[in-house]
Amino acid sequence: MNVLSINNISKNYGKVTALQNVSFSVPRGSVFGILGPNGSGKTTLLGIIMDVLKATGGTYKLFDENPDNQLRKRIGTLLETPNFYHYLSAVQNLKITAGIKQRGENDIERVLEIVSLTNRKNSTFSTYSLGMKQRLAIAAALLGDPEVLVLDEPTNGLDPVGIAEIRELIKLLASQGKTIIMASHMLDEVEKVCSHVAILKYGELITFGNVDEIFINDDIVEVASSNIDQLKDALNLMPGNLKVEIKGNIVQITFPVGSANLENVNQFCFEKGIVLSQLQIRKKSLESKFMELTN
Amino acid sequence: MMHLLKIEWLKIKNYKAFLFISLFFLIGIFATNYIVYSVFHNIVNKSDAALLLSNFNPYDFEHVWQTVSYTSGYLLMLPSLLLIILVTNEYTFRTNRQNIIDGSSREEYANVKMMMALIVAATSTLFVVLTALAFAYSSEKDFSITGFSHVGYFFLKALSYNIIAIFISTLIKRTGFAIGIFFIYMGAENIIAQFLDVLSMKLKSSKNIDFGSLGDYLPMNSSDGLLSFPPTPLKSFTTSSLPTEYTWIVLGFAIFYLVLFSWLSRRLIIKKDL
Repeated sequence: MNVLSINNISKNYGKVTALQNVSFSVPRGSVFGILGPNGSGKTTLLGIIMDVLKATGGTYKLFDENPDNQLRKRIGTLLETPNFYHYLSAVQNLKITAGIKQRGENDIERVLEIVSLTNRKNSTFSTYSLGMKQRLAIAAALLGDPEVLVLDEPTNGLDPVGIAEIRELIKLLASQGKTIIMASHMLDEVEKVCSHVAILKYGELITFGNVDEIFINDDIVEVASSNIDQLKDALNLMPGNLKVEIKGNIVQITFPVGSANLENVNQFCFEKGIVLSQLQIRKKSLESKFMELTN
Repeated sequence: MMHLLKIEWLKIKNYKAFLFISLFFLIGIFATNYIVYSVFHNIVNKSDAALLLSNFNPYDFEHVWQTVSYTSGYLLMLPSLLLIILVTNEYTFRTNRQNIIDGSSREEYANVKMMMALIVAATSTLFVVLTALAFAYSSEKDFSITGFSHVGYFFLKALSYNIIAIFISTLIKRTGFAIGIFFIYMGAENIIAQFLDVLSMKLKSSKNIDFGSLGDYLPMNSSDGLLSFPPTPLKSFTTSSLPTEYTWIVLGFAIFYLVLFSWLSRRLIIKKDL
């Protein structure tokens, strides 16, 4: 079963296209990252799913059904910014959330404890720091223990400890079988917690699928010697039809994931009469992969 | 609907502006009427005009419903102000988005705001009734329901003001700006109404064309126009030159505007991006 399936969703603001024919689906139980640079349409997409924005074209389904407000009550959502009544306390605000969701009235203490706001639960929202507001928004999303969570930049405004806590929380929730849809421009965040990913750029879906399949991390071996051209020519003769490139004063050899062996490289060069002055393996970073996909 | 109203109550019950404006409005109704009452009781009735007025007391039964409705009508901008603040707050705090995200439907959200306008108007009207009873029971005349239709007009005026306030709020979205537009519109409509009323009088006197007071056909003035101070004996001298009061037409316009602005507000909430 899919928690969410999106079919050809488009959104225009006048002449500006925010989303263009985006389609993908989120399987139940996945931690689904929606990744993209600023302005790529992540929040717009989630806004459409939550009915605060109207799509120009396309359709979507929640829990394989046509979307309505009753289905939204089953989803805990933090979209873009923490939105609360400034003059009310955390508890009073969460009572309103529980009232709308028609669930979670008895869950307020628990969720405040999770986000470490218990000792400030009766302070008005306007007195909160940015990080505390974000924590309250996460608490509101967790209220009533929903089976699906939609978190848009959940670690926004949090300190390093807070970021680590939220990551652990997401992992914990995922291990409990919950589906988590998370929008982020933080690559390591996605890499560390997501099982699936969709990548957006300028409103277009570049790719989506399993994280391991999309971010196949090629092994890159960097070598150098006194004669760089001779080195490159020699390496081109290596078996396996490898990509060999000169980058400044080093040569990069790209091996399929997990197949690089430094000893073999050294041996091969030595046999060709080349003495290496540098030899090291470098995992291709998610960041450079992301750049490659989005540029 | 009850559970939606309960949520609205959670939003406002601890809101100081709500408590302050409500209190100010309730005290205001009583105080304004007391001032008018005192003027008649202590000044007019002890002057030479008293003979002409032949012991006319606007706070006796029969007149009291009309007097209190008319006088209190001037304070109706206060509940409207409250509604503007409550509705635009949702935009400022972006809680309108959050309410939808959390599982309200847009229709529910629109309906509960309309219901708030209705409840605020009904509460205002209830207080007008209580105020009228308090003043009238201090006079010697027997209880009478005659003239109670003016309380109905007051309710209509309150509801019209509230719905216009909600429409402006959903259109403008920013508190200060919406309050400004509301009062500017109110002033502008009154000025236009004055011109139209003068025009109506000219039409009647020069060409004998009588469409009633044209100014009464504007959105706010249509519900204002239904309320007037009780006809004192003095007033009868002037009415002959005034256009006819077509109460039913004015009432029709008032209801038409009410439906129009409700529909427009609902449409804005339901159709637009939030």
